[in-house]
Amino acid sequence: MDIPVSLAIIALAALVHASFQLSVSVLTLLSAHTLGSKRSHAKLLRLSISFIFGTGLMTMLLLSFISLLLISLFGNETPQIVWAAVCGLLVGVAISIWLFYYQREEGTMIWIPRYFAKYLTKRTESTNLSAEAFGLGLSSVIGELLFIVAPLTISALVLIQLPTLWQIVGIIIYTKISLISLFTVWASISSGHKISRIQQWREKNKYFLQFTAGAGLIVLALFVYVNEILVSTVGQL
Amino acid sequence: MNIIKSNGKRQAEHFERKKLHTSIVAVCLSVSTPDGQAETTAHTVCDAVVAWLQTHPEVTSHDIRTIAAKHLKIYNPEAAYLYEQHHITI
Repeated sequence: MDIPVSLAIIALAALVHASFQLSVSVLTLLSAHTLGSKRSHAKLLRLSISFIFGTGLMTMLLLSFISLLLISLFGNETPQIVWAAVCGLLVGVAISIWLFYYQREEGTMIWIPRYFAKYLTKRTESTNLSAEAFGLGLSSVIGELLFIVAPLTISALVLIQLPTLWQIVGIIIYTKISLISLFTVWASISSGHKISRIQQWREKNKYFLQFTAGAGLIVLALFVYVNEILVSTVGQL
Repeated sequence: MNIIKSNGKRQAEHFERKKLHTSIVAVCLSVSTPDGQAETTAHTVCDAVVAWLQTHPEVTSHDIRTIAAKHLKIYNPEAAYLYEQHHITI
């Protein structure tokens, strides 16, 4: 797999990651609470940037950790069985997203343990300092680990095939793209858009986002399967 | 006036008008409503909820939210939407 193709896979995986909504929900709630507590707009921007920074850092750490784990297990030459297993993981997670991602109720509640959702809501309500918002960002990524593990794993698998410098570039690309949705919400709130409108848009389009996340993972799985398994198998014949 | 907590695990508590007022003001401010208008809206909604409570001696916190949202929708639909969404966002 050459470098542009590898980076394209990482970018697509990061886009799928960006379509997951837990961090966006937490950021929406955090902004609503900050404005509702009569805090200044500058304070809101500080808290939301700290939150996004925490989210980005945890994403980067998780991707680096999975890459390190895979490189220590398989080195730079990943066996085909591992590629096939990860493709299976992508398809499995994609089907789970289509079936379970959003709860079948009004709102944007997603399928995570309810005690964790309550914990995040409580922490969001009591967040006053940038450090707390940063911690909230870290926790919100962990809360969605069940779903983001798929794009993270495939990206890590692709990353470890790259030269060292490109591995760093790949990690940066993944992290930046995965934060696109958060930056969009942040920019909307900063430019004076009402939080209720943002939440309405999210609620209205939640099933579309759910579908695209699942479809993105399926496309990714098919591409990697053809590129890494079928091509080499057919080449050997 | 007793409020039974929705999950039934916590003890019932007395209705606090101030608590409801604060939450209505906060949600109005979240949608960029001016301070004075937020206070007036909260006052009116609290009055409506208190009047409803006169005929319902024991209610759940969910009932209070529903009635408050219903009245808030008349004065500030965007705030009412956000108020309803609070527990179903994450």
